[in-house]
Amino acid sequence: MRVSLDWLEGLLPDGALDEMSIAELTERLDMTGTAVEGVETSGQIPDGVTIGQIKSKEHHPDSDHLWVTHVDTGEESGLLQIVCGAQNFEAGDKVPVATIGTVLPTEDGKGFLIKKSKLRGVESFGMNCSARELGLGDDHQGILVLDESAPIGTAFKDWFDAGDTIIELEITPNRGDCLSMVGIAREVGAVFECTPTGVLVPEVELVEQGDAIDTLATVVVDEPNLCPRYTARVIRNIIVGESPAWLVERVNSAGIRSINNIVDVTNFIMIEMGQPLHAFDLDRLAKDESGRAKIIVRRAKAGEIMVTLDEIERKLTTENLLITDPSGPIALAGVMGGMKTEVEDDTVDILLESAIFDPANVSRTSRSMQLISESSLRFERGVDPSGSVSALDRAAALMALVGGGTVAPGVIDIYPEPITERALTLRSEVLDRIAGDDIPLDTAKEYLERLGCAVTFTDDMQTTLSVTVPTFRPDLEREIDLVEEVIRLWGMENVPPTLPGGRERLGGLSRTQQLRGVIDKTLRAAGLNETMTLPFSDTLDLAKLNFETGEKDELVALHNPMSSEQAHLRPLLLPGLLNSVSLNKRRGVNDVHLFEMGKAFLTNAGRKLPVETEKIAGVLSGLWDRAGWNVASEPIDFFDAKGIIEQLMRELNIDRLRILEPKEGELSWLQPGKAAILMLGNDPIGWMGEVHPSVAGKFEIDDPVVAFEVDGAKVIKYAKAERDFSAPPRYPGIEMDIALVVDEEVAHKDIERRIKALGKKTPLADVHLFDVYRGKGVAEGKKSMAYRLAYRADDRTLTSEEVERVHEKVLAKLKHELGAELRS
Amino acid sequence: MSTLKGQDPAAIESGIAARLADAGITDQAVIDHITEVMVPFIEQAHKVRESLSELSNLAELDALRVEVLGKKSPFIAFMRNLGSLESDIRPVVGAQANEVRRSLEQWIEERKAELSHADLEKRIGEGTLDISLPGRAHPIGSQHLISRIRDEIIDVFIGLGYRVAEGPEVELTFFNFDALNHTPQHPARSASDTFYVHDMSGEDFEGPEPSEVLMRTHTSPVQVRAMQEQKPPIYILAPGKVYRRDIADPTHLPQFTQIEGLVVDKGISFADLKGTLDHFVREIFGPQRRTRFRPHFFPFTEPSAEVDISCGICDGTGQVDGATCRFCSGVGWVEILGCGMVDPNVFEAVDIDPEVYTGFAFGMGVERIALLRYDIPDIRMLIEGDMRFLRQF
Repeated sequence: MRVSLDWLEGLLPDGALDEMSIAELTERLDMTGTAVEGVETSGQIPDGVTIGQIKSKEHHPDSDHLWVTHVDTGEESGLLQIVCGAQNFEAGDKVPVATIGTVLPTEDGKGFLIKKSKLRGVESFGMNCSARELGLGDDHQGILVLDESAPIGTAFKDWFDAGDTIIELEITPNRGDCLSMVGIAREVGAVFECTPTGVLVPEVELVEQGDAIDTLATVVVDEPNLCPRYTARVIRNIIVGESPAWLVERVNSAGIRSINNIVDVTNFIMIEMGQPLHAFDLDRLAKDESGRAKIIVRRAKAGEIMVTLDEIERKLTTENLLITDPSGPIALAGVMGGMKTEVEDDTVDILLESAIFDPANVSRTSRSMQLISESSLRFERGVDPSGSVSALDRAAALMALVGGGTVAPGVIDIYPEPITERALTLRSEVLDRIAGDDIPLDTAKEYLERLGCAVTFTDDMQTTLSVTVPTFRPDLEREIDLVEEVIRLWGMENVPPTLPGGRERLGGLSRTQQLRGVIDKTLRAAGLNETMTLPFSDTLDLAKLNFETGEKDELVALHNPMSSEQAHLRPLLLPGLLNSVSLNKRRGVNDVHLFEMGKAFLTNAGRKLPVETEKIAGVLSGLWDRAGWNVASEPIDFFDAKGIIEQLMRELNIDRLRILEPKEGELSWLQPGKAAILMLGNDPIGWMGEVHPSVAGKFEIDDPVVAFEVDGAKVIKYAKAERDFSAPPRYPGIEMDIALVVDEEVAHKDIERRIKALGKKTPLADVHLFDVYRGKGVAEGKKSMAYRLAYRADDRTLTSEEVERVHEKVLAKLKHELGAELRS
Repeated sequence: MSTLKGQDPAAIESGIAARLADAGITDQAVIDHITEVMVPFIEQAHKVRESLSELSNLAELDALRVEVLGKKSPFIAFMRNLGSLESDIRPVVGAQANEVRRSLEQWIEERKAELSHADLEKRIGEGTLDISLPGRAHPIGSQHLISRIRDEIIDVFIGLGYRVAEGPEVELTFFNFDALNHTPQHPARSASDTFYVHDMSGEDFEGPEPSEVLMRTHTSPVQVRAMQEQKPPIYILAPGKVYRRDIADPTHLPQFTQIEGLVVDKGISFADLKGTLDHFVREIFGPQRRTRFRPHFFPFTEPSAEVDISCGICDGTGQVDGATCRFCSGVGWVEILGCGMVDPNVFEAVDIDPEVYTGFAFGMGVERIALLRYDIPDIRMLIEGDMRFLRQF
């Protein structure tokens, strides 16, 4: 809401605003709940600008567009020589002169200091100012030539009726009453303890003349729930034309364009009193059988069509409330008028509507049509039905004044259930309990009275107030609303800060939350950087992955996505991460190590809310780090990701991770042979592998990317809280290395499992693969796997004979079952 | 322990004679014999002592030690044979021989310590590094800025006895709006502001919005669920991602991270809310920061307030070096969160008696705090995953 202080001043007792600076005013408004979003000042004329008279005007000797003027500014020391570039003045004109030392306003707020200067060799002792240079407007074509009566030597700001200050206020949705100048005056009055005068400027008297309104118009309200009050007047023989300057200035101050005198009056009253009005061209309204213009307030029929004032044809539904005449719709109630009955230059008679419409209905209509008007904004927040007729009367009188017409006698007023003032109570105990402060009840009483409530003590103990709420404050519905008003005026800054006393509460994280922290720290310790991507899923990205949902699953679809790329919620985190890898590579960052913990979404038929799965996903590409002076650097591969998963399992105390090869068609985005399903027992908890080069390529990534994604809730579920202790070995062990030559097909796990299978009966403590070799000395199709086996017993030092025996058994088993040969 | 005294044969002899005299041995022949046997050992010991200083390393020293004190050395052989001496002179000779041995051992030990020290010094000298060379470490990853700030805030409130509550990101309008006292026409419900999700239940739905399933627009539904599931006292913090239909630009994202707090207990007042948030602001932004509570309106709280903190750049003055503070636009305050006392209508929706319990709630955007704290020019940097951005935190 744009509030002109000039206008506001007229509504308050004389001098009420003069006592405070604008800074004080805006600060107090801020601190009482009416946030000030901006202050615009026009016409703040700086000190040092004096009224002067041009005594002489001569061509600059060295320029064909500059003038050398001598200006009388009333200084006894004589005329000022000022070089001037404007062309619009003559000797004898009076002009505002910025004398040396004046700071003129500039847009950047720094100001422009007038100094003695030389222009092409001629000295200049000041500046003859344009309107823009003084901050009075945009005109900078020439200097501001003043009226002849302007007194020479007088400070310009004392003579010139400077502009206005507009403060932009944020009106919260509960304070519809503040969407008017009268409402703002009341609020300012309550805050600053000054009651508005109640006098509206200009004062006009309503004079009724001619045929009574009942002979000219009639109104039927079919939907009293959606239109609790409908009032109307007729103004005749007006001349539609330009508005007088004061009216233009007022509507402009509110940020509304001047249209014509009639429309401007409706807007003026809306801003002044908060009641939206609409003027229909009476002659264009269809008539009833007795020749009277007939207004019917009804719901639209499904599919009914009307053209609103913005010249858009709108298809209506039964949700929409209409103002109609017998021929059809003439206005979208409370939102916008129709083209058909618009006031135009040739309009002579007017039917003026001042009505109340249901907030929810107006809101739905205006939002569904994306048609938000000054009128709909006010109706949405609630307009006081008690004020409809006074607004109507004042508007009619003003129209007669500015349009030269007459007001037909009588008012149509359809108001089946007049609103009553609400009666509430406020208990001192509740006020103090909510505030946490001791606010005297008589202070509360005074605040509420300032806000326009009628307040009495209900009891002799003076512990409870009986409060009658004025109809312009529909937001004050309950005791708590009164508490809010009192605290607001008491000043939140005056409430002492305390901390809640402690009973029955212990802070802390749940086990799941703690384990999430463990996962986060483990992944970071492993070198991954946490990132965050959007939860939306591009079906194109999913197509790049060849991703298909499971048989019963479906993607979660949005009704109203921002774009087709964001029409679904992500079923996995990988696409977002691949896009981040791609972005890094395109920006020249080749080494990428990212992880994200976030939700993935899937749904299926019959579900209301989708299934949300907490995912932990990572992507790695490039190197871990550049090679250093003492560190080599290897390109990241499958086993870097696997190592991270293994570390994670270790930290979560999960010891039964199994790796399965995916079946054909599973994990379609991974490269076959470099893909794995991660299992805990028989439960698949996620996957890992190298992204298929053709998939990476579709994300514009040329390098290998390894990725993983696991179900966070599952790993947290399987994490073992208890850790088992076993004493560190007391007896030394013996380590034996073996290099086995086996067929390529033989996997590490085949060997490891067989070695470990002996472990229970034998003193075998550890199996460690330390080399895999192919090439010279190893036949084609074979590889050499080198293991270090650690033998140890808990109760004695093993003898080498004992170890030899077991070791032979291991070798025999491997030879027998896998055809493994000892590499010589 | 005494060490051998004197070096010249006369002194050695008289020393031996004195010791024998002390032992009551006066027979000159015996004295001569003993002197004859002992003097070479003592002289040799002194020579060894002199030669020690010429040895330059521990290996030479060890060789010398073996030579003079090893099993095969003549001296040790002599000592081993002491038993064959006459019993009257044995103790005297034994004492004298032991003194020789102890002295040798002591001198060798002393020299050994010197050489060890020199050797250590030498090795240290040889091992001098260019300590300006970079260290060797596997790089560790960074926590995302938003998570970092979220965790800091959570820690503050855990210290105040709060627990962390969570809920789904896709929600029902009941939890997101209805139970939070949003009127049916509240603008936030509109499909232009809120993402609506297809309801797969097959249930009929009528209303101006497309569905009753939506992406939560705040974490307040977590509070409603908590109040339904748990009886007061409730002290919870609800952090999480929330979604609004904003086009991504330097100051907006369709997703952001919110942290809301809720307290429901007997005797909870606006003063408690103020004290709690004052504490929070000082912990997160620094002890010198002040707060300012401005009355505001939210559907789910009454009274409601917006909270500003004093600008950290101009310390609340609005001015930096005489010019308008760019950070707070000269206001001196920066808006940081919204809060208020839980509206009785919200309590009614979850069956808590507002005559018995009162409560407060507050909510803030973590991204906003991050942008304020680090003066980040474009919020989209937070979701790009640019390694160069992430690695800074």
